[in-house]
Amino acid sequence: MVYDRPVMRDYWASRLFFDLQAPAAAAEFRADRDAVMKRYPLAENVRKAILDDNVPFLAQRTNAYLLRYYFFAAGMKDEEFIRRLRGG
Amino acid sequence: MAELVGVFAASHGPLLIREWDAIPTDQKGRVAAAFGEIGRKITLAKPDVIVEIAPDHWSNFFLDNIPTVCIGVGETNDGPPEPWMKDFPHRELAGDAGFAMHIARTALQNGFEPSLSHRLKLDHGFCIPLWRMGLETLPRIVPMVVNSIEPPLPLVRRCLQWGELLKKAIESYAAPLRVAVLGTGGLSHSIGEPTMGAIDEPFDQECIRLLELGNETSLIKFLDAGLPKAGNGTAEIRNWLVAHGAAGGRGFELIDYLPVPKVLVGCGFAAWRI
Repeated sequence: MVYDRPVMRDYWASRLFFDLQAPAAAAEFRADRDAVMKRYPLAENVRKAILDDNVPFLAQRTNAYLLRYYFFAAGMKDEEFIRRLRGG
Repeated sequence: MAELVGVFAASHGPLLIREWDAIPTDQKGRVAAAFGEIGRKITLAKPDVIVEIAPDHWSNFFLDNIPTVCIGVGETNDGPPEPWMKDFPHRELAGDAGFAMHIARTALQNGFEPSLSHRLKLDHGFCIPLWRMGLETLPRIVPMVVNSIEPPLPLVRRCLQWGELLKKAIESYAAPLRVAVLGTGGLSHSIGEPTMGAIDEPFDQECIRLLELGNETSLIKFLDAGLPKAGNGTAEIRNWLVAHGAAGGRGFELIDYLPVPKVLVGCGFAAWRI
């Protein structure tokens, strides 16, 4: 059996999250999210979800590990991340 | 000829580093002892090379290109890129290009098509077990990345076959090399999904029971049915299956298993009697 959960990927949000694993990029992002996001052709609803820390929305569009790494890089604690993942 | 001198498996997880001091003392003691026991066994086995199987946690590969299996065939690989792994004592880890390329060639000759990399970044999945085992001298590391992060993932059955292939490659290598195999990751855990933090101890115990039993048909049936419903991190059990296949599917010896909620992982540690 192929382990094949439904996958929907927003490429540019994923690319941003991937790039923010670099500490310098993460620091720049934490200082000015807009400036960093302008370098990526993000859809408007995705850009807004990132600005709003809309975890469930982004969870539908990015890999779960990458999502966690992003919110860790953005400075969110795991407890808060989990609460938001569950729609809290 | 080369010789298989040991087969092992151990969990990994970022919080085994980042939250080490916050793990309850009794659990921390058991985890440390289990890593130490594998380290002791590896030291006794005196491997020249460890073939280490782990996922790539978005350190080398992105959505542009995700190999299902990638073998590190370079002379050198990089240490972990994660900033919180900065104290890991190796910024570079020696590989074994000749032996790794022999594995690749053996794979191709036997109907397996791995991707190859001449320089990989070995992230926490590779380096936490090596670090926590406290090996005084690090053998050369031949990394084997198995995708358990971004679906679709390889068949459980195929992972066992990869292990058998590894064994064949080791036994057909002309140089007098002592080789150990180390699978890392698992057991049950859930990362970045609503069940994050859930550890399925009954699932883990059944998996361990089936590994001990050594009946591959039962193991495959159980994992095929259970993995799609388990936390996403549980998929890393595939790396244990590569180890199981390399050991000939027999002689599994559990060193320890304990759920460690503070690190979000059902932590397992094992050796195979080969």
